[in-house]
Amino acid sequence: MKGFRIMLVLLMIIALPVAAAAQKAKTIDELATMYDASSCKSCHAEIYAAWEKSHHARPLMGVKGGLMLTPLALKKGEPGSTAFSEDSPKKMTVKNFPCFKCHLPQAVISAEDSVAVELAEALIAKDSAKVAKLQITCIVCHNTKAIIHKRELGEPEKGVLYGLKDVASHGDKTYTKVKKSAIMKDSVFCGQCHGLGPNLEFDQAFQCANLYGSYLHNYVSSGGTHTCQECHMPKVDGKADHLIAPNFNDDKGTSELLAKAINLDVQTIGYEWLRKAATYVPKIVVETKITTTAGHRIPDG
Amino acid sequence: MVVTAKSMDGKEIGKVEKHYHPQATNCRDTKERYGAQWKVANLRDTSLQPNKTKAETIEFELPAGVRAADVTVDLVYEDVNPDNKYPIHSITKRVSLDK
Repeated sequence: MKGFRIMLVLLMIIALPVAAAAQKAKTIDELATMYDASSCKSCHAEIYAAWEKSHHARPLMGVKGGLMLTPLALKKGEPGSTAFSEDSPKKMTVKNFPCFKCHLPQAVISAEDSVAVELAEALIAKDSAKVAKLQITCIVCHNTKAIIHKRELGEPEKGVLYGLKDVASHGDKTYTKVKKSAIMKDSVFCGQCHGLGPNLEFDQAFQCANLYGSYLHNYVSSGGTHTCQECHMPKVDGKADHLIAPNFNDDKGTSELLAKAINLDVQTIGYEWLRKAATYVPKIVVETKITTTAGHRIPDG
Repeated sequence: MVVTAKSMDGKEIGKVEKHYHPQATNCRDTKERYGAQWKVANLRDTSLQPNKTKAETIEFELPAGVRAADVTVDLVYEDVNPDNKYPIHSITKRVSLDK
């Protein structure tokens, strides 16, 4: 009997952290900690540094310091509020932020509604520092979104990262193993968030990025063979660039990237147009041709 | 894209703008919307498409006495709002009616 009790206590001790891990985050800090990837930095410093400058590191911040989810947090009926707004930030839930589908996928599966309340209050208070804690970290792409064939392959495993190859022993305390992802090199991986078109699965339809739809229906259909990763994550010193350009906070870099992808040809002629007998109209004609090497419409997101 | 024609003394003869982007409404009225939280579906799409050339012909009639013009074509990317611009290309050509 004594042995049984000891076993029971031991089992409870082992089971406690597992149960805790299954719990959802109640605060922004808890959610940020749950998906914290700062330990990746020590071994993957260059990749981490590039990611820190990327839009993935500030998915709720918009461009140049904006807080793009603010309209959702406004009181219903207030100028600028949306169909997702409530009478009070206290009434906000995870479902009131459908943008989480892509801008913060971990919130959909790991956040209590109290996180939505805290976020709404932070947005109204223009508390950028708090909002900035919510990021699409390494864990989101390399675990949460790494498997799309869940009926065949199961859910992403705890303690496992997914990458381009198997790594039997990964030197991280939490993520001790790396498994090869079936899709990480493919455009469909990015397509999970970079949009097919209207999000019709919600009770209030809305449309964000159409990029993947454009890629499938206009680029692939016209013979395009490059993947998103080949163009947006080129190898830098042998490693995929996790800046995933463009970075719209970098004016010069964005202009250079656009100039590389878009060609403008301008031809001109000047002549005197004979509109009718003895009536010449001096005229110049400008012929412009824009071509692009992008694998999707421009602009899109 | 902004195409501007100026005479040799710098006076603007004409200016034409072309806007290339998908245009969406909320599908409840005919007003174009910006912001994912208000848009529902594209109504029109003038954006640059992969593997397709966007060609334009723009004509300017010259005022009496003007026989040459500088034509500038500015291709600019605007993000979030028209004030947030990323210049892409700027090409200027002098066009003369005299041989």
